Amino acid sequence: MATMQPTLQKKICMLGGFSVGKTSLVKRFVASVFSETYLTTVGVKIDKKTVEVNDRAVNLILWDVAGEDDVSTVRMSYLRGCAGYVLVADGTRPSTLEVALSLRERVEADCGRLPFVLLLNKSDLQEQWAIGGAQLDELRQEGWSVRSTSARTGEGVEDAFRELAVRVTAEQ
Amino acid sequence: MIGLPRSVADVLQSVTYSQRALAYLQIDAQLTLVGAGGDLENYGLGALVLGEQASDQAFFLEGLLPLVETPYVMPSIELGTGRVADLHFYMETEYVWVVLLDVTAERDQARRVQQKAYEMTLLQEKEALLNRRLEAANAALRATQRELETSREALIRVHERLQRELTEAAGYVRSLLPAPMSQPFTIDWRFVPSTELGGDAFGYNWVDPHHFALYLLDVCGHGIGPSLMSIAVLHVLQSTSLRDVDFRDPSQVLGALNETYQMQGHNDLYFTLWYGVYHPATRRLDYGSAGHPPAVLIDVGTQSVQLLKGKGAPIGLTPRAAYLCETLVVPGNTRLYLFSDGAFEVQRPDGSMMTFEEILYFLSRPGTDRTSDLDLLYQHLVQVRGDGALEDDFSIIRFTF
Repeated sequence: MATMQPTLQKKICMLGGFSVGKTSLVKRFVASVFSETYLTTVGVKIDKKTVEVNDRAVNLILWDVAGEDDVSTVRMSYLRGCAGYVLVADGTRPSTLEVALSLRERVEADCGRLPFVLLLNKSDLQEQWAIGGAQLDELRQEGWSVRSTSARTGEGVEDAFRELAVRVTAEQ
Repeated sequence: MIGLPRSVADVLQSVTYSQRALAYLQIDAQLTLVGAGGDLENYGLGALVLGEQASDQAFFLEGLLPLVETPYVMPSIELGTGRVADLHFYMETEYVWVVLLDVTAERDQARRVQQKAYEMTLLQEKEALLNRRLEAANAALRATQRELETSREALIRVHERLQRELTEAAGYVRSLLPAPMSQPFTIDWRFVPSTELGGDAFGYNWVDPHHFALYLLDVCGHGIGPSLMSIAVLHVLQSTSLRDVDFRDPSQVLGALNETYQMQGHNDLYFTLWYGVYHPATRRLDYGSAGHPPAVLIDVGTQSVQLLKGKGAPIGLTPRAAYLCETLVVPGNTRLYLFSDGAFEVQRPDGSMMTFEEILYFLSRPGTDRTSDLDLLYQHLVQVRGDGALEDDFSIIRFTF
């Protein structure tokens, strides 16, 4: 009789500038829904999604952390105990990529090197796309996992979270 | 509570419990939930089981235990029920205590303020983005405008060069025309090429000591091509160089030219021609026309007008064309005018065309001593046209017998 492996549980933080679509990505991933109404996040919103990685159930505890803006920075204490994180930028707003790059540096300074993926969200708004491919290619050459996603259409969302789930459980 | 009377502490506890939905978790060193209480339902924690792993039941605890500092607060955490709590962590003896205090109302208030601020910021970002795009579009338009100006300047230079070449070509055509003469009869002419250079040319010369040829031709179209063709035909007529053709016979000349200059072999060009031969001894004038406007013979004394028409298609249109020779004995004290359609087909600013009768009226009027009737006619045409430039060549010859 096969031995049932205990469920793993991993804390994943969603990080990025405000209004880049972090909450929408979590909703798309967890509940397969999308709302056109923008509702800002204050503090943290926690959700859970169970995925299967290598025949083992993994509970992803998703910490949707309020976006960074000009006056408030992300509390690094929210990242305590996280196994990996999702950096989110809005492909139609180049400044949000700068915020994501800055957040990544601070996370690494505070928490050390953790698995992460960079998502360029809102890929459905191609006519407004403003982030050049050359900059993203440079990041990929540095070993970053960079993906395009659309919380509206669901494009790339599932794959991005699954990739991160595989990476955070790789050492178990 | 230190320094607080028992009753105040009790009130504070009551208020906190009723308004903040106070709840707590007690966790031992093995991260096992050993105690829980308060308003746990408010946070979706009503089904907790003591003795089980704490983070398996309260999944917001994942990664937070054991504590790395105490006490500390994790503010504004929205749990699965939609309620928002400040999480207070502290350690006492061997237990970790987690106290949950509801701050949903404060979070909602903060969210309303933040929402407005973000929406305003997003609008400003969009405005800035639109401005940048407008500036980029303006820059592209300015660049296009500069390119257009450069192209326009290049076109102007090309146009000026072509205009110079057309002027030179017109000068060359003029140099091929015979000079006015006064013996044995008086001949005068005016030739004003159009701005694009037309296909008019004319001449007169002795075919033999007794016969004098006079002719005027008009090649269709404007520009260098028609002009080159008119020069070629003029050369043939001036040099009487058509093989086996008697240049004293207009029908032979027109027929031979028609055979030689069929339009299929000459870039689709054709031309009209009035050709006459005058025999001074008998005052006999033989003439023929290939689709050309009639020559006009005017009796100076009576101002009576005779049109010297010929029958025949323009030269080059059809190989089967036949040309007749007409004959006339020219009365004394008469003037013969030869001209192309450019001398009367002039459009007025209102779109109406000048008529052939108008030129007849003009030519039949008694002339003045000071100004040539040819100049008066040209001035009249320019006036009729209205903008000072004729569309076609103006060519006219006057023979006074």
